[in-house]
Amino acid sequence: MKKALTGIVCAVMITLAGCSSKSAVSTSSTPGSSSNGTGAGINPVVYTDKDRESVVVTEQYPVVAKTQDMVTAKGQDPVAITGQEPVAAKNQEPVVAGPVIGDIFFDFNSSALNNEAQEQLKQNAAWMQKHPLTTVTIEGHCDERGTDEYNLALGERRAIVAMDYLVTFGINGQRLTIISYGEEQPFDQGHNEEAWSRNRRNHFISK
Amino acid sequence: MRKARIQFASFFVVICCQFLLLFSLQAETLREYIAIRKEGAGKISIMIDQCKAVGVTESVWAKKMDETINGALHFIGLFNLLPVPLTSMTVSNGTQNTIDIGSTGADVFISGTLSQVSGMVVLGIQVRDVTGKQLLSRRYSGQESNLRQIGLRFSADLVELLTGKRSVFHSKIAFVSNRTGKKEIYQCDFDGQNIRQLTALRSIALTPAFSIDGRYLAWTDYSSGRPDLYIRNMVSNTTVSVKKQGVCISPAWRPGSTECATTLSHEGDQDIYLIRVDGSVDRRLTRTQGIDVSPTFSPDGSKMAFVSTREGSPQIFIQNLDDGEVQRLTYSGNYNTQPAWSPSGDKILFSSLQKNGEINIFEVNTDGSGVMQLTRASGNNEYPSWSPDSSMIVFSSNRQGQRKLYVMNADGSGQRPLLDMEGEEQQPSWSSIR
Repeated sequence: MKKALTGIVCAVMITLAGCSSKSAVSTSSTPGSSSNGTGAGINPVVYTDKDRESVVVTEQYPVVAKTQDMVTAKGQDPVAITGQEPVAAKNQEPVVAGPVIGDIFFDFNSSALNNEAQEQLKQNAAWMQKHPLTTVTIEGHCDERGTDEYNLALGERRAIVAMDYLVTFGINGQRLTIISYGEEQPFDQGHNEEAWSRNRRNHFISK
Repeated sequence: MRKARIQFASFFVVICCQFLLLFSLQAETLREYIAIRKEGAGKISIMIDQCKAVGVTESVWAKKMDETINGALHFIGLFNLLPVPLTSMTVSNGTQNTIDIGSTGADVFISGTLSQVSGMVVLGIQVRDVTGKQLLSRRYSGQESNLRQIGLRFSADLVELLTGKRSVFHSKIAFVSNRTGKKEIYQCDFDGQNIRQLTALRSIALTPAFSIDGRYLAWTDYSSGRPDLYIRNMVSNTTVSVKKQGVCISPAWRPGSTECATTLSHEGDQDIYLIRVDGSVDRRLTRTQGIDVSPTFSPDGSKMAFVSTREGSPQIFIQNLDDGEVQRLTYSGNYNTQPAWSPSGDKILFSSLQKNGEINIFEVNTDGSGVMQLTRASGNNEYPSWSPDSSMIVFSSNRQGQRKLYVMNADGSGQRPLLDMEGEEQQPSWSSIR
C-alpha cells in the first residue's frame, strides 16, 4: 500500500512537472535547493535530451496511472521511462549535468563567483553541452538592500561573470544572452537575510 | 498627453495678470524690503484674509482659491502663516486699517476679491506690508477649470516678491508607481496634486527624468524585454529609443544642453555616455573598469557627479566635462550612491547604506566638506531629488511599510508624505516645468 501511494505521488509530481510550461524545464523553482536534490526519480523524466519529447511522455501519465502496479514500477524506475542514465552516476564523471540549469548565488554587493557558484556553473555548462540545441538567458538579480540603479548595473555584472565562466567551459557565447533585473524581480518577497541571500542570484532560462 | 498640452498652453494663454497699482512700488524699494527681510532671523509672517466674493458660484470659487493659496504657501514652509482674527480687517472699500496689521504681528497682509466677469474667474489681490504700504496689487483671470493655476500663479508672484526667488509652484515631480500592478511613470504637481499616468507599457518602467525645460522625458523600461532607454518629446508626443546591447539606465539631463547622460554597457563595461535627444550617442564620458552609474550635473553643466566602483565600493565622484579630471567626493561609509546636485550648485545629496542596514540621505558640499545626515531611524530613505529652488527635497522611504514618496526641507526638517495614492512609489525626479 505504501508503495502504491508513493507511486501515485510520484506520478502526480511527474504529471505536474510535465504540464508546466517550458520555463519549468529550465528553472529550479527553489533557489538554494541543490540541482539534483528534488527527487532523483522525477527530474530525469522531465529533462530528457529533447525536452519536447519528454513533455509528451509525461502527458501520457494520467492514462498509465490507471494501473497502480505500472505506476509504481515506472515511478520508481526513471530509467525505464526516459532511457537516460540516472543522475546519481556522480562517480563516473567529474562534472555531471544537473537535471536543470540551477541558479547561482552571490554575496552582498558582489559579482564574484564563490566555490558553490562555480560548481553549479560547471554543472550548468555540462547541461548545455548535453543539450546543444538550447539557448540560455542569464538573468542577473540583486537583493533589495542596495539602491535601484546601482543594482541594475550590479545585476548585469553578475550575469556577465556567469556568461564568461560558461564560455571558458566551452559553451558558445552565441547560445548565451544576459539581462539584468536589478532588484525588480525578487524571488523571495521577504525582508531578511534569508530572503536577500536567495534574491542575490543568477537565474537561467533555457529555450 | 494632448490634454496635458492644452492645460500647459492654457496656463500661459488664459491666465492674464494685469498690473494695476504695482507702479507705485519702486523696484529699489522692493529690493530694500527683501534685503531687510533676509537679514532678520525667522520667517516672514503672512496673514491671508479670506477671499471676498459676492454670489454663490463666486463664493465656492473663493473658498477653493483660499485653499489653493494657503495650501501652496503652507507646503513650501518659507513663511509663517498667521490665522486671521475673527473680526475681518478688510473694510468694505478694500482699504486696509494699518494699525490692525501691526497689532497682529504679521509682516505682510494679503486680501483678495473673487468675481466673475464674462464667465471668467477674476482674482483681484493686494499685498501690503506692516505700514500699510502696498507691495503688490494684481488681477489674475482665467477659466474656472484653471482656478488652481490662478491661485498658484499669485502664490508664485508672492514668493518671488518676498524672497526674490522663483517658486516651485509650477514644477512637476516624475516618479514610478506600481499602482496598476506594473511599474509605470507618473507625474504630479509640486505638492502631490494632479497625478497623471505617463506610461502604460505593462512592463517595468524606471528612473524617469524630465529635461530642464520640461520638454523631454527620459526613462528606462523593459517593454522590449530588455532595459532600454526612451526619450519622449512631451510636446510632439514622439518617443525615440536608445537600444544598445546591455543596459541603458539612469538618465540625467545636462543643464544648458539638450543632452542626457546615461549608463550604457554595449562596449563591455558600464560607463556613462552623453546621448542626444534623437537617441544617438554624442560621446563617452567615463572609461574606468567597474560600474559607473547615476550621473547628475552641476547647474552650469560643466561638472558631473556620479557613482563609481573604480576604487572598490560604490562611491561618489565628480568629473569635469571639459578635461575629464575626476575627484572623489565621498569617503565615509562603503556604499554611497544616488547623487543629486542642487540647482543652487553648492550641495550634493546622496544616499548611503549604513552599517546598521539602513539607507539614509546625506548632504555634502561639492568640495566634500560638511557632510550632514538628513534622515535617520525611519527605514530606508532613498533617491533624493532637489526642488528647482533648492529649498526642498523629495525622496522615497519605506518608513511606514510600503515605499512611498516624502518631501522635506533642505535641512531635513518637516518630513512628510507627498502623495495619497495606492501602491508603492519610488524614484522621484523634481523638475522645473514652467
